[in-house]
Amino acid sequence: MRFRFCGDLDCPDWVLAEISTLARISSVKMKLLCVQVIKDLLDEDIDYEKVSKLTSDAKFESGDIKASVAVLSFILSSAAKHDVDGESLSSELQQLGLPKEHTTGLCKSYEDKHAALQQKLKESSLRLGRLEVVNWRVDYTLSSSELKEVNEPVVQLRLQSQNPESGSSETSVVTVGAEKFRVLLTGMSIFFKYYYYYYY
Amino acid sequence: MLLVLSDEHKEHLGFLPKVDPAVVGEFGRIAVEFLKKGSNPKIYEGAARKLNVPSETVQRGVEGLMYLLTESSKLMISEIDFQDSVLVLGFSEELNKLLLQLYLENRKEVRQILSELAPSLPHYRNLEWRFDVQLGSRALRQHVKPAICLKLHLESGGTQTARVLQTDPATLLHLIQELECALAEVKSNHCRRILRNIK
Repeated sequence: MRFRFCGDLDCPDWVLAEISTLARISSVKMKLLCVQVIKDLLDEDIDYEKVSKLTSDAKFESGDIKASVAVLSFILSSAAKHDVDGESLSSELQQLGLPKEHTTGLCKSYEDKHAALQQKLKESSLRLGRLEVVNWRVDYTLSSSELKEVNEPVVQLRLQSQNPESGSSETSVVTVGAEKFRVLLTGMSIFFKYYYYYYY
Repeated sequence: MLLVLSDEHKEHLGFLPKVDPAVVGEFGRIAVEFLKKGSNPKIYEGAARKLNVPSETVQRGVEGLMYLLTESSKLMISEIDFQDSVLVLGFSEELNKLLLQLYLENRKEVRQILSELAPSLPHYRNLEWRFDVQLGSRALRQHVKPAICLKLHLESGGTQTARVLQTDPATLLHLIQELECALAEVKSNHCRRILRNIK
């Protein structure tokens, strides 16, 4: 059976198994658990104390708590990844055996935070060598050891970027003469012309 | 197969019959703790003070026990072989039984610790991917060139590294095909025969 929230693939076996674990807590507690899991997905601090209090009534062991957080994380992030709307998610989860009240609670939380989840996923997509800071300075060379009167402007650029493999910050300093800098700017402006053409 | 203990080892273990069997049990427990978490010299001093012997003797006794445990677990020797090997030391019946019990209880755990010491190649931790389309470049405008960017995260003994790779869709399909062939190889007759013999 193909499910949209699994990207038109079969639902993984462990998700099926853990949905029955989720059905053991009340629907109200499950909605609160969803809120905590969404906080974790958005990189805000998850309150583990609250999570264990919510699951204590159903006498969840630590393995069960981890499993229910994992399955909720999977469902919510996978649904956001494949841009599934609340209605389809609701019907698919009910097909998998999650009771109606639980599904309604989950889908309500999902719809509330749908846009925020997608934004967070977009930000954490693969980016290589992100440019972090650009600093510039224009100097005017008066004279040098080679020539007595130079009188040329020169641009100094300091680029701080992220190393694509290790992720640490690297700084590179570049000195560009006036003519070369004009070439650079012309190239950049052509790029922006294409950017606007394709994007808008 | 019998464990052959060197004279020095026998000398170090010679300290054990001189103390209470309960103390030997305690030393055994300390030896297993040290195998799990690393040794702590302060414990030797505390024990030495209580037993009124130099701390070096205590240290050698515990380390002798640790070595005995690791060698027996490494070779996975049977009960009878262990008993025969320990008989050589000339300990009392009670002490021999204590050592045997120590070995049998902890052998699985010691083997697990030893397995983690083997050298390992960097292995897969995570794979991030991104599907891009190049629309134009400074040299050529208005073309369409799809590319897939991969960041392979590897882990090797605690250190994490990442490699950035780029491929076009055709190469990626070829790569997938080759990997599926490798997986299918497990189901071939040749592999099945070997796996059956190992089990």
